[in-house]
Amino acid sequence: MTYLMICEALIRLIHTRISFELISFTLAIRFVSLTLFIAGQSRQCTPHSHKNQVLLPLITCAYWSIPATFWSRMATDLNYVEIEARCLQELQQLKIEEENLIMELNSMVNQKTFIEDKIKGLSFLIPKLNVMKNEAEDLVSTVNDISQSSEKISGKIRQLDTARSHVDECLLRVNDLIDLEICSQGVQQAILDLDYEKGAAHVHRFLSMDQSLLKRTANDMNSVSNMLKSVRTLQEAAAQLRAIVEHRFNEAVNNEDLVSIERFFKIFPLLGMHEEGIKEFCTYLRTKVAITAEKNLKSAINLPLADKRYSIVYADTLTLLFEGLARVIDTHQPLLETYYGPGRLLSAVVILQKECDSQIKRILLEWSKSRQIQKKLQQITDLSRMSSSASFSKIEKSDPKDLDILIGEITLMHFRCELYIKFVQRKIMADVEVGIADKELKEKTLKQLDQTILNSVLSQCKHELLSHYLQLEQYFMEESVAKAINMDILETSQQTSSMVDDTFFIIKKCIRRSISTGSLDGICVTINNACRVLENDYCSVLKARLRQGYPSGYLDLSQAYNVLQNSIQGRLQTGDTEQSRTAFIVALNNADSSTEYVTALCDNIMKEIETSCPNMNLNERGKLESCLSGISAVSASLTAIIEYGGQQLKSTAVKPRINPWVDTFMNFSHQLTEDELSAYEAGESFVQTLIMNLETLLSSFKEILSSNNYDHFLQVLTAEVTQRFEKVIMKSQFNRLGGLVLDKEVRSLAGYITSGTYFSVRDQFARLTQIATILNFDQIDEINDYWGNFDGAITWRLTPSEIKSVLNLRVDFKSDEIKRLRL
Amino acid sequence: MDDYKFLFKVVLVGNAGVGKTCLVRRFTQGLFPPGQGATIGVDFMIKTVEVGNEKVKLQIWDTAGQERFRSITQSYYRSAHALILVYDISCQPTFDCLPDWLREIEEYASSKVLRVLVGNKIDREDREIPTHVGEEFAERHNMYFLETSAKESDNVERLFMQIAEDLMKQARMTNVPRYDSNSQNINDSSGQESSCCNRLT
Repeated sequence: MTYLMICEALIRLIHTRISFELISFTLAIRFVSLTLFIAGQSRQCTPHSHKNQVLLPLITCAYWSIPATFWSRMATDLNYVEIEARCLQELQQLKIEEENLIMELNSMVNQKTFIEDKIKGLSFLIPKLNVMKNEAEDLVSTVNDISQSSEKISGKIRQLDTARSHVDECLLRVNDLIDLEICSQGVQQAILDLDYEKGAAHVHRFLSMDQSLLKRTANDMNSVSNMLKSVRTLQEAAAQLRAIVEHRFNEAVNNEDLVSIERFFKIFPLLGMHEEGIKEFCTYLRTKVAITAEKNLKSAINLPLADKRYSIVYADTLTLLFEGLARVIDTHQPLLETYYGPGRLLSAVVILQKECDSQIKRILLEWSKSRQIQKKLQQITDLSRMSSSASFSKIEKSDPKDLDILIGEITLMHFRCELYIKFVQRKIMADVEVGIADKELKEKTLKQLDQTILNSVLSQCKHELLSHYLQLEQYFMEESVAKAINMDILETSQQTSSMVDDTFFIIKKCIRRSISTGSLDGICVTINNACRVLENDYCSVLKARLRQGYPSGYLDLSQAYNVLQNSIQGRLQTGDTEQSRTAFIVALNNADSSTEYVTALCDNIMKEIETSCPNMNLNERGKLESCLSGISAVSASLTAIIEYGGQQLKSTAVKPRINPWVDTFMNFSHQLTEDELSAYEAGESFVQTLIMNLETLLSSFKEILSSNNYDHFLQVLTAEVTQRFEKVIMKSQFNRLGGLVLDKEVRSLAGYITSGTYFSVRDQFARLTQIATILNFDQIDEINDYWGNFDGAITWRLTPSEIKSVLNLRVDFKSDEIKRLRL
Repeated sequence: MDDYKFLFKVVLVGNAGVGKTCLVRRFTQGLFPPGQGATIGVDFMIKTVEVGNEKVKLQIWDTAGQERFRSITQSYYRSAHALILVYDISCQPTFDCLPDWLREIEEYASSKVLRVLVGNKIDREDREIPTHVGEEFAERHNMYFLETSAKESDNVERLFMQIAEDLMKQARMTNVPRYDSNSQNINDSSGQESSCCNRLT
């Protein structure tokens, strides 16, 4: 069928092709050959060759599809020789192609048998496939059968399972009944034999039976009375045993019979009396703890004053109490866990905590009595109330040094409390983790733990200790810093005085001590207090000293008046000015070195806290950082103070001296002839004198100021010199040579000041240098070399109108020419 | 995270049990946790709010009301930008203590601190302090006044937002709010210097 369809397609194709006017000759040839090829193909495939007759006209038709126009164009356009040559050529090609086609056809004929073999082979397979299909269907039905039957079997197994569980239950009941019988018989005997362990074991077995199951069994059974009797016997025995055990335990406690105590302690849980057992036993332990604690406290009270540990004896007593309690918990926890099961430590600790609370109360009471805490605290509060009033000095002050030891003891006591609380928390949390599986119950128990600790006297005492500590520490810090400031001494050859080192030593000591309390709140508060002391007490002293000002040797009118007043009162001494000068400079240096101390303090504290409280959570860290940021605020205060000191120096030491020096510039003529110029340069020029004066001024400060302060001072001075210089220049008039000299002088001044510092003062000189450059012009229009938007142009610090007024200072520049300048 | 422009410290004070922690929790977490224990020392929470397209970080210090923590809480007054003094409208003693609190604030806090009086627990039926009494007290002592309910979330947001806005206004007026005593002095001295300069020239 296929080749017939191809033929039809071909015919359609031929018709369309004929309608084209120009068609390539070779294409046509190819078409013919294709037709031929198909013909051959079909001949090969079909044994019936009569179809060739259909093909033959097709071929001819294809040949003639070469359009007639083609031939006609040939006839007209080309001469016959060419036509002939071409025809021959085409003929030749056709022949070659024909041969090729014949070859292809032959090869296809050869393949024919091969393909036929293949088809034959395939047809053999068909019956086999049918067989396979049948077999597969059989298999499917078999599998279905199997699944059905297996379903049936599993149903039966299920039935069997329920039956078995019934049997199991039955067995259990029977066992229970047998045990019940045995227990009820055994328990009485055991009680009579005083074998409480055995009796308790019987009761335990009885209690472990499912009571509701027992009741059901009783209902199911005929011999009800017998069983009920056993149950009653056992219940009675249990009650009896409970009473006996409780009694015997108390007896053992009274007799201090440790073996019996432990024996009955173990029996309690067998009788289902877990809580009672823990309560009885821990109450016993409480008395033990109480006795030791009492003994310790007594010996603490009676400790002679001369004893080495006298100053921390109460901290020691507290430590002994905590250690004793910790030991009790540690040694009895395994016992508790073995006989009572895990998860019951909290009940034990709650009871022990009561003793801890009452003991700690007594210790603190004795401590507070012996150390006169209330009196000292009262004194401090009175002092702070009075500090503003006049009667301040009358109140007896306690020496901060005496408090030092006491503060140390409180720190230690607080730290012990903190440590013990952490110990208890850790122990119970671990116990709860192991012993209580139920999530809700676990949470409840942990909450109970928190509440127990929070509401304990221990916690309250701890908070009170911290409160005492903070009050005393604050007082200590304030008083010690005040002392350091009062006893301020300047060692010769030092730039700073003793108060800087002393104050920061005290602050560091206090903060360090607060770290050793183990309380983050304590640390934060001490840091807050340190900030307050530094800003209010320390910085204000520095500032007050700077406010006195730096008395200059060259007095202006008002200063002269003050001097006069002082001398009238006979207070002026030669050293007086010198002393207050030194005080000013030292205060300035102190402020400078304090900024460094503050930074170091901040870093050190952070590091120390990191090591001592490694497990801070995010919130705690935030709290701490916020408090620490207060310390860096102190540094800002100090910077402001230094700035203020610099301004003070400027107004008294810099301005009054520099201004007359710079003003001498106006005494010189700046309209020079050549002769005058060489005379000026040979003599002592303005700038030489100025530099010499500056040198003396600077060298007097270089020795005494700290290097930061000196740099700062130099900047202040430079600003002043340049501003003043600019002013006097604007008041002078120059000719060409005068401008030349000025330019040189400005350069050498800038060179001198730059050589004295690490800071770049070039910037401060920019305006002055530019003014000098302008005055040094040969011609007005030289400005165009510098002004504008090109590579060589400079960044001007002068406005166009300023430039014009500077140009006007040159007497030889015409003012209308300057006016005409476009800038 | 730290793209805030202003940071203000707000400290809450007042007697134990007036609801300071609840106010803070309500504002920072939107919670009202009933039956929680007394605060120990100070708690610290942060909330960033937006005031006029500016981010403002509020650092809220929730202090313990109990007497034995006084030496801890007092140390936070100094650096506070705003102090919220809270009393319980259903409990006269908490109101009676206000003068004591003010004395403490006077002693420890900066004179420029923004002070706000808050009567909390207005959801309660058994009111003991009428609104006008609180109002008068606040007016007498130059404080803002607001009544709130942390439980019903009444006025809580408003309280803190008002504080944030006021503090921002204050901060905008004086560029460096904390050190302006210093800067003022420096300005004074520079004023002198310019006059001295005039004299010479």
